[in-house]
Amino acid sequence: MPQTKSVKRTTRTESSTYLNEAIAIWFRDMRSEFRTRYALNAILMFAVTTLIAVSFAIGSFRIDESERPFLYAVLLWIILTFSALSGLSRSFVKEEEAGTIDVLKLSARPQAVFLGKLLFNLSLLGALGVVIVPTFILLMAYQINFPVFFTTMIITGCLGLGAGTTIIAAMIARASGRGALFSVLSLPLLLPLMITCIKGCERAAIGYDSAGWPEVKIAVAYVIIMITMSLFLFSLVWEE
Amino acid sequence: MVQKILLTIWMAVIIVAAFLYTEAAVGFPGQTSRILFFHVPQSWVATLSFLVSMAASVVYLAKRKLKADHVAQSAAELGFLFCILATVTGSIFAKATWGSFWNWDPRETSIVILLTIYGAYFALRSAISDPDRCRVLAAVYSILAFVTVPFLVFVVPRITASLHPENTMNPANPGMDPRTLTVFLGSLFAYTALYLWMLRLRIRILNLESLKVRDLFRGRGGGNPKTENEQPRMKGGRAQ
Repeated sequence: MPQTKSVKRTTRTESSTYLNEAIAIWFRDMRSEFRTRYALNAILMFAVTTLIAVSFAIGSFRIDESERPFLYAVLLWIILTFSALSGLSRSFVKEEEAGTIDVLKLSARPQAVFLGKLLFNLSLLGALGVVIVPTFILLMAYQINFPVFFTTMIITGCLGLGAGTTIIAAMIARASGRGALFSVLSLPLLLPLMITCIKGCERAAIGYDSAGWPEVKIAVAYVIIMITMSLFLFSLVWEE
Repeated sequence: MVQKILLTIWMAVIIVAAFLYTEAAVGFPGQTSRILFFHVPQSWVATLSFLVSMAASVVYLAKRKLKADHVAQSAAELGFLFCILATVTGSIFAKATWGSFWNWDPRETSIVILLTIYGAYFALRSAISDPDRCRVLAAVYSILAFVTVPFLVFVVPRITASLHPENTMNPANPGMDPRTLTVFLGSLFAYTALYLWMLRLRIRILNLESLKVRDLFRGRGGGNPKTENEQPRMKGGRAQ
């Protein structure tokens, strides 16, 4: 009897794909997040308070109209990036704190864990973007003349934020002094993406441009490279 | 010993030749073009060091040899030093020719990002107490950071036009005059040799330190007074 049971279990493990495992981890994280809402609250409250501070200090008319596309893009991306950095490390740090990390190591393959956590972080970033970007546009009277490009830029930029920070979150979960270290390690990797996104949003606000969407292409390339490298390197970080 | 003396003489000859043998280039105010013989080799060594650190990190992850990690760490430390030197000399040149110490020229931006990457690398190393984990995570971070460098090369120059001499001064005369070229190549060689020498010293220091730690543990673990007495002799023998 025990033999058949173990055989059954092996076949089931073999039939489970990376994607299944990743989605299972994603759902599990979402469920635990809905129970505590720690990461979501941290990120959203950080973003909202920063946005209020920016809006209060600058308002919608203080900046000259010709300067707005660039300066607003800078402010928006600073808010988005630093809010993301305030909460995204939770995905791995909470495993370390709750002591569930060893069970997770046993129950899923490293790449699947990475993908699951990436999906979870992207969900958080999605929530952040949906709340913050429209509020920012309303509060600051941000005029965008090419909304499709702007939306695509925000989406690819958020994908890039998730792709760049997930493996760093896994790394700092093993280190002490986590909060500060996460921003310190992530920012140098995110700076090229930030510069690209700011430029893209500025161009989108100005209006249609025959140059095409080079910023979106760069951001997509960044996402692909970061995810590929993370998939290669994650098992080293995870199994250490 | 001979190498050290030769290198000192070579370096001295280059410094004298940089000021007396070559002519100041046309198009630069006063004697400022002589920065070429110092600033460019410094930034070359900083970049080379970054590459060495990344390659040693890959070797460490593949083979788990302690020595590879020592190379990676030493290269990062020296790279940081040369990076600061290049930044400072470049900044002085910027003041003399462009009128301000810092104006976020693309070259200045990318060197600042390089500095933050090095800084983050050291912050990571100092934050992890377990030495093995520290080595693996530092190696992973080094590789991840290296992957983002191409973005700096392609992305940042897109944002603004550069004032860096290679873009503004040289299109008319692609070839350097032969005397300048000789001294420049000589200086490049001198700086690279100096770098390799310093790198070897630093690696030897790290190796000796790790030996010392190992001997210490041995002495404690054995609990035998005889082994403790033997230690100074052993250490002295290896240090020579």
